[in-house]
Amino acid sequence: MARDKEKRSCGQVWAEWKAFVWDPRTRQLLGRTASSWGLILLFYLVFYGFLAGLFALTMWVMLQSVDPHVPKYQDRLLTPGMMIRPYAEGLDVTFNVSQRHTWMPYVHALHQFLEPYNDSLQAARNAACTPGRYHEQPDDGVPNVPKRACRFNRSSLGPCAGLGPPHSETYGYGTGQPCVLVKINRVINYFPGANKSINVVCAAKDEEDAALLGPLHLFPPNGSIDLMYFPYYGKRVHVNYTQPVVAVQFANATAGVQHHVECRLRALGMRGEGAEPQRDRFAGRVEFRLRLHRE
Amino acid sequence: MKSPFCSLSFSLSFGIQDDHRLSASELETKYGTSISEGLSSAKAAQVLARDGPNALTPPKATPEIVKFLKQMIGGFSILLWIGAVFSWISFGIQLAQGTVSFIDQLYLGVVLALVVILTGIFAYYQEAKSTNIMASFSKMIPQQALVIRDGEKKELPADQLVVGDIVEIKGGDRIPADIRLIFAQGCKVDNSSLTGESEPQSRSCDFTHENPLETKNIAFYSTTCVEGTATGIVINTGDRTIIGRIASLTSGVGNEKTPIAIEIEHFVYLVAGVAISIGVLFFIISVSMRYKILDSIIFLIGIIVANVPEGLLATVTVSLSLTAKRMAKKNCLVKNLEAVETLGSTSVICSDKTGTLTQNRMTVAHLWFDNQIYSADTSEDQTTQPFDQSSPSWTALSKIVTLCNRAEFRPGQENLPIMKRVVVGDASETALLKFAEVILGDVMNIRAQNKKVAEIPFNSTNKFQLSIHKTDDPNDERFLLVMKGAPERILERCSTIMINGKEEPLDSEKAEAFQTAYMELGGMGERVLGFCHLYLPENEFPDTYSFDTDSMNFPTSNLCFVGLLSMIDPPRSTVPDAVSKCRSAGIKVIMVTGDHPITAKAIAKSVGIISATSETVEDIAKRLNIPVEQVNWREATAAVVNGMELKDMSSQQLDEILCNHSEIVFARTSPQQKLIIVEGCQRQGAVVAVTGDGVNDSPALKKADIGIAMGIAGSDAAKNAADMVLLDDNFASIVTGVEEGRLIFDNLKKTIAYTLTKNIAELCPFLIYIIASIPLPIGTITILFIDLGTDIIPSVALAYEKAESDIMNRRPRNKRKDRLVNEQLAIYSYLQIGIMQSVGAFVTYFTVYAEQGFLPSTLLGVRVNWENNAINDFEDSYGQEWTKYQRTYLQWTGYTAFFVSITIQQVADLIIRKTRRNSIFQQGNKVIWVGIFSQIGIALILTYGLGHVTALNFTPLRFQYWFVAVPFAILIWVYDEVRKLFIRRYPGNHLHPIFLSKENITNFPISSLLLQAGGTRTCIIKTHPHHCLLPPYGDLLPLLTKPLLLECPVCAISSMGSPHDGVKEFHDYEKK
Repeated sequence: MARDKEKRSCGQVWAEWKAFVWDPRTRQLLGRTASSWGLILLFYLVFYGFLAGLFALTMWVMLQSVDPHVPKYQDRLLTPGMMIRPYAEGLDVTFNVSQRHTWMPYVHALHQFLEPYNDSLQAARNAACTPGRYHEQPDDGVPNVPKRACRFNRSSLGPCAGLGPPHSETYGYGTGQPCVLVKINRVINYFPGANKSINVVCAAKDEEDAALLGPLHLFPPNGSIDLMYFPYYGKRVHVNYTQPVVAVQFANATAGVQHHVECRLRALGMRGEGAEPQRDRFAGRVEFRLRLHRE
Repeated sequence: MKSPFCSLSFSLSFGIQDDHRLSASELETKYGTSISEGLSSAKAAQVLARDGPNALTPPKATPEIVKFLKQMIGGFSILLWIGAVFSWISFGIQLAQGTVSFIDQLYLGVVLALVVILTGIFAYYQEAKSTNIMASFSKMIPQQALVIRDGEKKELPADQLVVGDIVEIKGGDRIPADIRLIFAQGCKVDNSSLTGESEPQSRSCDFTHENPLETKNIAFYSTTCVEGTATGIVINTGDRTIIGRIASLTSGVGNEKTPIAIEIEHFVYLVAGVAISIGVLFFIISVSMRYKILDSIIFLIGIIVANVPEGLLATVTVSLSLTAKRMAKKNCLVKNLEAVETLGSTSVICSDKTGTLTQNRMTVAHLWFDNQIYSADTSEDQTTQPFDQSSPSWTALSKIVTLCNRAEFRPGQENLPIMKRVVVGDASETALLKFAEVILGDVMNIRAQNKKVAEIPFNSTNKFQLSIHKTDDPNDERFLLVMKGAPERILERCSTIMINGKEEPLDSEKAEAFQTAYMELGGMGERVLGFCHLYLPENEFPDTYSFDTDSMNFPTSNLCFVGLLSMIDPPRSTVPDAVSKCRSAGIKVIMVTGDHPITAKAIAKSVGIISATSETVEDIAKRLNIPVEQVNWREATAAVVNGMELKDMSSQQLDEILCNHSEIVFARTSPQQKLIIVEGCQRQGAVVAVTGDGVNDSPALKKADIGIAMGIAGSDAAKNAADMVLLDDNFASIVTGVEEGRLIFDNLKKTIAYTLTKNIAELCPFLIYIIASIPLPIGTITILFIDLGTDIIPSVALAYEKAESDIMNRRPRNKRKDRLVNEQLAIYSYLQIGIMQSVGAFVTYFTVYAEQGFLPSTLLGVRVNWENNAINDFEDSYGQEWTKYQRTYLQWTGYTAFFVSITIQQVADLIIRKTRRNSIFQQGNKVIWVGIFSQIGIALILTYGLGHVTALNFTPLRFQYWFVAVPFAILIWVYDEVRKLFIRRYPGNHLHPIFLSKENITNFPISSLLLQAGGTRTCIIKTHPHHCLLPPYGDLLPLLTKPLLLECPVCAISSMGSPHDGVKEFHDYEKK
């Protein structure tokens, strides 16, 4: 083969290429005539059209079999995750007390998050449920009846409720006593605590940090979460569901130090110790970093 | 390429000094030795230290580390290394940015590197194993030589010989070095391993020729002394011997790449091209979609890994070595794995005559007595002779054959079949002895009863052999004189002829009959001997008469002519069948022999290399009774080319001969000319297989695309130069080798098609992941588990697939056109089956996510948040919130589901790849079940067994997800069955380019091709400038539409209509 290559000059190769791309004699483009290309195009149009149709059909059939209210499997959500608010670019709450622009985003985020928790809205939309027990709403023969949500009043969050005058309200960020809200992930038909009361506890992750972190205040008191907010029935039927939250206020955190804070859900029946929850750093707990500066 | 040989003869003559001209005493002075005393041990040791041992330096082997490194960077390894390096770079960047949350990138890089290293080690191991087989094969028993040193005769290992040693040689010895003879008695050497001449040549102490290669007083290293004894001075040892120099010349002939190596390289380029262009394209797309460069690099790695069939090259190696094993069982020992396939693409075989096509032993083929020719059985294992033995003439003839013969069986072989016994004596006498033994029984006993009283051995001046015996008839006191020799010489001495046991006067009419018979037997290429006898009158030669062979005191004329016997080295019985197989397989068999043209032609005719109906130019001239010059050479299909003619031919003339004759015999060729013939064939674009046994053949063996050495008769140099060794020296074994070679090519094609298909199903996830920002459907590690896990055994199983059509009925593949991986195969795999697999796998993927709470609509565009480690309340379609780990676990479940779907659909792919034209119902293969079960078994182990090992990214999958892709698997199978049905029904349809691989067209047997074009067939072939050696039919289709054919001077192609019509026609014919 090498011999052939030697024989052909550059010009010949170019001419061959040109003839391959467009051969005026046989009227072939890239070695095929227009009708041949047309046929191929038609074939692939039909072929891919058929495949697309088939894909659409199977997906449709599959979606028909899926219940729009409750997912078929929930085995991945046996232990609900936990999360904090404000959330900004990760799980770090870092700000400078004296520089307004460093904490204003947190304040906005909290304002926005707590908007639906306004007492007036809660009173208008949600029901006052019996505290201390699960608020179960069976379908009673009619499938997927809309469910009512229980009231969670913003005011119950005490100083972290952010109910001060709109312009001066800083959720403690302006005073160096920041509030962080802790919430439990929504999981449909999840009954935490096996009918016993549940609460959230927060602490410094490292013992030596505890003193630097200073006292933590939890709202509602003890960080307790009422069972009436469970179970969750899914966003289709449980429209105005208000997720219970616990506020943590850091009353006297040392400035200039990075604090690792861990909040846990204390409830009976939590799968807290298995291999999987250990791998998942957010199952039934949440870790975040707090760092504030004062100058 | 003639030059090596010009320089060879030059350097050889130059190198041999002029020892052959010197006298014995001059030699003694020159080498400081003594003919009677030999060298002193001290001197010998000194010279040994200077010259080194008397052994050929083995060809320089590539260092093991280089071989190993070659495996490490060959093929796809480079791509994977790039992937690994990119992974490490991106890990390094993450490390520098301090954002390492997962060590995934580091880990992936290590895995990729491991994959490369492991597959490299595997390929290296496979290669080393096959090399070892060969190494053990070529080990020799150390040779001994009888040397005079310090005035004593000693047995020394031959490699201890030094220049100046006096060595003694006797019949049966191998010459231990180049030797100048100083004493010889009836010494004959077989130089065939050096020059290819099959006749033993006599050796004496006389300086007979200027050229050291021709003179009689030099015997060469590695040739054999056939008979007699001799003493000589060693003049060259080791690499300085003639053989040594030829062997070093061989290493100068470059090794051509094997066709399969070219094919695999082509394939690697193709896949690497696809991988790199898609990778780069999507790199650009992802960068322009504002992905981070780092992410884009990670995508690039994923795309490369998805595109590269990591396990394929290992699979190819395994398939080839499986075939090599199978071939070794059929007596073809393959040295170089890739040569397995080369044999399959062979289009010309240049075969030796002696030993390969023939049995390599003279055998009595015909007899003439009582004015009649009888044929004898020449098969390998004759036990009786069928011809009429009742005539008294036969009795007389048999007596002469028995008595006038000096050959004897070596003692102690009574239990062996006659044909296998070892005989001391020359080839003709051996033939006669065995012939007599088969018919008469114990020849030695007959000879003992007819005691020999006098004898004149054969010599070249007399051209006869004579002996006088007492007879075993006690009533007959007469002596019997028996004589055999060249027929015309024998006839001269006869005055009577025996007809039906009666002596009749030898008149001109009977002499005419003799002449006719003699010519006829001679014309069959047989060596003819005449036999006559005379009962000496009792009164003149009484019992006590003393015969003197010097004064010849007995009559040697007016004898009674009894008959003729002719001998030939008969073809092996399996050869004619093998040659006809080659013929139907489109392989041209060219005989290249040092023998006489008439003998060569006779053997060629009897084995079918020249078919019964074809004629050479000379035959036509004879038939038409015109001079040879007037014959139109185009009409002759066969040609017998003499070595002398070949010498004066230009390469154009040789090309013309190779081009224009389909049946060619080269006779009286020197071994050097073999190389020229091989090159001539290669100029025609042919893949040439060459057989050879002598050292002199090794340059041709090396030059050939596949050199085949003879395992029994072959010299070590030949075996060294060859790619393959025929353990039984049988031409028929080559044909089985060809069959295996073709099969493996077909099967590799299937393997590659199978392997390439799922690449698309591995690639699409990445593309859609980038474009639609969905969670990654399949991970890089998981892809590696498909490529190196589930897919490996099924790919190998395809190597066990039986031949689909009768593969020995189609033309050899054209190495330029019939690629291992062509456009059609790639397009069908990538754009049709691969896409179907992707669709099936995506349905599973979406099903898994939907049933866990993420409906397809939620998945679009979520990639950034989905992969954010900080977001631990990611909302699904039902309002539930997921932590990162929960999402990741779901993502792994997605990987597993995607993996399982690909596996399930690969089962369908495996089934459809089994056959290329036949329906799956038409062809079974049990090994394929092993493939299917292993595939599913490995997938089960990975998902359920290793599902809890986080690093592998597998999760125990819900059982129903195994079945989501089943409808798509069935669809793939049905689609392909329909396609095959279409191909079988409408071969040559113009829709074929879309979904038909070209090779399906070449499947047509050649017989039907011939039918299509009628008598004009050969013309088409000849007119094409490059492929006069009969192109495969695949070539023909495009050719037919080109005006080139219309210019064909002889045939009327234009009347043939469209090529497709033609194809249809003979497909119908095939069905009938």
